[in-house]
Amino acid sequence: MKVSLNIVKRYTSFDVSVDELVSLINQQLGGVEEIIDIAKKYEGATIVRVVECAPLKGTDHLNLTKVDDGGASKDVERDDNGLVQVVCGAPNVRADMLAVWLPPGATVPSTFDDTEPFVLGARELRGAMSNGMLASPKELGFGDAHEGIMEIDANEWKPNDVEIKPGTGFARAYDLDDTIIDIENKMFTHRPDCFGQLGVAREIAGILGNQFVSPDWYVDTPKFSDGDGLVLTVKNDVPDKVSRFMAVAVRDITVAPSPTWLQAELVRLGSKPINNIVDVTNYVMLITAQPMHAYDYDKVASGKLGVRLANKGEQVALLNGKVEELNDSDIVITDGKKVIGLGGVMGGSETEVSIETKNIILECANFDMFTLRRTSMHHGLFTDAVTRFTKGQSPLQIPAVMHLALKSVFDVAGGQQASKVADDQNLQTFSELVVHAPQSIDKDFINHRLGLDLSRKEIESLLGNVEFTFDVNYVAPFWRTDIEIPEDIVEEVGRLYGFDKLPQDLPRRTVTPAPVRANRTLKTQLRDTLSRAGANEVLTYSFVHKNLLDRAGQNVDDTYQLSNALSPDLHYYRRTVLPSLLDKIHANVRAGYEHFAIFEIGKGHRISAGVDEDGVPVEQEYVSLALAGGDFYQAKALADFIAKKSGLQFNYVPLQQGKLFEQKRGALIRVGDTVIGAVGEYGAAIQRNFKLPKLAAGFEISFESLLKEVRQATGSYRQLSKFPSAERDVTLQVAQSMSYVDVESAVHDNLTKTDLVVAISPLGIYRPDTGDTKNVTLRISLTSHEKTLTGDEVSAVMDSLVSEVCEKLSAVVI
Amino acid sequence: MTDSNSVRDDLLARIGKSQQPQEILRAPELRALAEELKNLPPEERAGAGRVLNELKKSLQTAIDKRQAELLDQAVTPIDVTAPFDINGSLPSLLPAEHGTIHPITREIAIMSDILGRMGFTVFESREIDDQYHMFESLNFPAGHPARDDFDTFMTMQVDKDGEPLIAPAHTSTMQNRIMHELKPQLEDGQPIAAASIDRVFRNEDLDPRHEHTFYQHEGIYIDKDVHAGMLVATLKTFLESYYQTKLDVRVNPFYFPFTEPSFEFSLSCPFCEGEGCTVCSGSGWIELLGCGMIHPNVLKMAGIDPKVYTGFAWGGGVDRLVMMKHSIEDVRHFQSAKLDFLRQF
Repeated sequence: MKVSLNIVKRYTSFDVSVDELVSLINQQLGGVEEIIDIAKKYEGATIVRVVECAPLKGTDHLNLTKVDDGGASKDVERDDNGLVQVVCGAPNVRADMLAVWLPPGATVPSTFDDTEPFVLGARELRGAMSNGMLASPKELGFGDAHEGIMEIDANEWKPNDVEIKPGTGFARAYDLDDTIIDIENKMFTHRPDCFGQLGVAREIAGILGNQFVSPDWYVDTPKFSDGDGLVLTVKNDVPDKVSRFMAVAVRDITVAPSPTWLQAELVRLGSKPINNIVDVTNYVMLITAQPMHAYDYDKVASGKLGVRLANKGEQVALLNGKVEELNDSDIVITDGKKVIGLGGVMGGSETEVSIETKNIILECANFDMFTLRRTSMHHGLFTDAVTRFTKGQSPLQIPAVMHLALKSVFDVAGGQQASKVADDQNLQTFSELVVHAPQSIDKDFINHRLGLDLSRKEIESLLGNVEFTFDVNYVAPFWRTDIEIPEDIVEEVGRLYGFDKLPQDLPRRTVTPAPVRANRTLKTQLRDTLSRAGANEVLTYSFVHKNLLDRAGQNVDDTYQLSNALSPDLHYYRRTVLPSLLDKIHANVRAGYEHFAIFEIGKGHRISAGVDEDGVPVEQEYVSLALAGGDFYQAKALADFIAKKSGLQFNYVPLQQGKLFEQKRGALIRVGDTVIGAVGEYGAAIQRNFKLPKLAAGFEISFESLLKEVRQATGSYRQLSKFPSAERDVTLQVAQSMSYVDVESAVHDNLTKTDLVVAISPLGIYRPDTGDTKNVTLRISLTSHEKTLTGDEVSAVMDSLVSEVCEKLSAVVI
Repeated sequence: MTDSNSVRDDLLARIGKSQQPQEILRAPELRALAEELKNLPPEERAGAGRVLNELKKSLQTAIDKRQAELLDQAVTPIDVTAPFDINGSLPSLLPAEHGTIHPITREIAIMSDILGRMGFTVFESREIDDQYHMFESLNFPAGHPARDDFDTFMTMQVDKDGEPLIAPAHTSTMQNRIMHELKPQLEDGQPIAAASIDRVFRNEDLDPRHEHTFYQHEGIYIDKDVHAGMLVATLKTFLESYYQTKLDVRVNPFYFPFTEPSFEFSLSCPFCEGEGCTVCSGSGWIELLGCGMIHPNVLKMAGIDPKVYTGFAWGGGVDRLVMMKHSIEDVRHFQSAKLDFLRQF
């Protein structure tokens, strides 16, 4: 939102510097994005009289002129009469005209923001010296016209009384010695009034502690005359969406470029001059925030304006040159039959005001912000009008704005009112709006929420400065449609007082400890454990490309899909975490890492997982690890490390079927009989699809299951004994098909019958080249809590072990 | 003429035993059949051609099956219950000095620790949610223009109201749930003090400064007599503990639908003590978070009476804090899983 400080000064005076003002605006109104020094842009531009003008010899279109700058420019070559010689190629240059001269050293204003602005000099053109140039409207940043130079009319009415004569600074003449501050639009999402210069001026007065007084034309109820000559009827079929629709016909106008002062007002606020009628509607909007529209009356059949919802499939050609196919939720303006505009968004090209237009209709209306937002989003049309309407403009300002626009049209384009002012209003919506305003609030309500102790008088002064009024209640002015609840008043008081001045007290709390969430505690512990085991934690996206699901052999149909992701890399929610990790192996291998493990604790989503008690999809969390350069047993060792540090014991059973993991080289991870995950090396397809190194493995464990088990875990600590341990190694020859765990369990079961502390650790699993047996060597450590075990006692335990186990497992001791 | 049936049976049998089944397609018997085809009278040629094609097709199927079998045979089954492979030895873990925790989760742990000491319970957020929690319960009614300020990812699938599900663009999507859960605390005379720190999503193009996936920290504090000054004091205290230095802070008015009033919160740059440096773009100030007093409608939606209780809320990015702390030049490194990056932390 661009704000002109010169325009603001017409409504409220202030004497702080621009820097101070910007700092206050930042603190109390909204973030300033940019400060634009317009005065600098027009520095040097001077109004001059062309005294002599003659064709330049030897050229077909250049003229040699002598201009009178009233002696304003200092370092410039002059003739005996004090005139300055300028060569000019414009067809409209002539003696006696007033023009805008850019002297040597001045910057061409239209290039002011370029990385290399064009600075003029004195140079020879076809043998004649040209000092600077006479500027076209385009060069002055006044629209696109560049066929001729800008002509200045000294007698034209303008808002200030600076005399136009040779030597008058162009900026001074048209109030362009100005500073523009650009405030972030987002700040005003709820402030319809601040999308107009008037609204921002009021706020500036408020934060400076000055009383603002709105101009009479804005707050007084205008008296419209009747007008005659043209028929105008208005029919509003959607009063619930168009709470007010005002229109009037004007006849016998002259469409032309706007007077220079009006163009100057528009360009500084970033608007482009088009013609006097369109410029008036735009200017009125820039001042009041109320968008307007003008139609060519003679192109609106039989003088009817209708307002209704579009029929699906109807079309309208818009001012931007595009044809839009309409939706049945779009509000449209019709000529009684066919659509001639997209209400509140953009007018139609068929009824556009052009240079031939003689009669017009002015429209000033209020459109439902939600409907308009939908239309704007649907058609991708983001106009200044949409920006303003979607903040909720007050329908109560419409008569004042229409009155101003009508008067301005007469001023700049002549003409007369040709019809009554039609005013279709929906009183119900109206009264609802008015009810917003009065708030019965105790001052303590305000003070409690701000931590202040303001008196009612101080509060009234802060709010009164921005024209709130008070009876027993706080009454917001009619343009403040955003004031709906008492807290809105609190915000106003706080802001106008200055939030930075609030007392900074910390809340007082008791010493009750804040509860902790068990899931976060376990995650922290898992990260710790795995990083201690040499693994690297990674974070990868929750969304994946379809080809990742395909490569991992996952079911795309059961996967949540994004409808609006910009990149195909993000079209699906991932189902599990491990494929995302596999996708990161290859790049790291290429970067020179051979043996590493990456892990992530993250979420996966699948449609078939259903919804929770809130009705939203169940989220499944995983602890996933991908190992490169290591095999199944190393991945398993990493999983066992987690188990050990979490006070659990994992057991492993062969996979019944292979998916991500190769069936013959993978296992389910269980705690007791509960499956909580899987570990393994990958199947050939996965290996190929993810370009994995030859040796690769990994695991994926359900975090929820793990958490449940950890909560029930009893720990595995065994008290230390005061007596030494005895160790014996035993090698059992068993059938090759026998699982290691069966051997170990048999040994364990036997030893638990003693009341000794037992530890069994594997030393070797050896298979001879021939035969179908294998040798399992275990180291058995026995400790008593009561005494030092003698050799005989240990041998007795071992003998009993060997005989029982050998029988049970059909094993032979080697 | 050769009997194609006997050729088929013979070749199928050979495929079943072959170590290189693909070779069978080059068997001379097949070539002979093709030769014979050329010499047949034209009226018989079509029929015989079809037979030959079917034969080839059935061979290919058998070859594929055999190849899969061979591949499977090549995989040696292992004893998954064993601690190591036959003739192997006990595997070690990876070298501890290579292990790392991600800089973002590490930062989250630091922040959670401070917040925990300040009395806040730290929650996690969701990665898929409904519009009720993301918008409605936070005072963004349907069709509210402020919904546009978040470039929210939406799913093809819809929730129970027929609205697309969303990937939350802020952790505030948890506010309503947290308030409901902790409401009994309020009734016991304890404040609600909770934070949620987790992953959020915005539909943005990636570049060194923009990620579509990033992390946010958010907090709420609700009690009787909570005022806006407490919000400023709490955040200041939190940040001073985080940066281990005294800071100046300031608030600028802002607009969020779920707070009233709303602020943008800035702190004096902790890296240059407000002198102006590259981190703060020379301004001496860093805009760090959005905050405000919780909108009464948001309290009401959670069954908390806004006439009795007031509260404040804040939210800010985690990634940026980490980037500033370590002078990380590209936000995309965070989710790149590059060991070159990760092993520096």
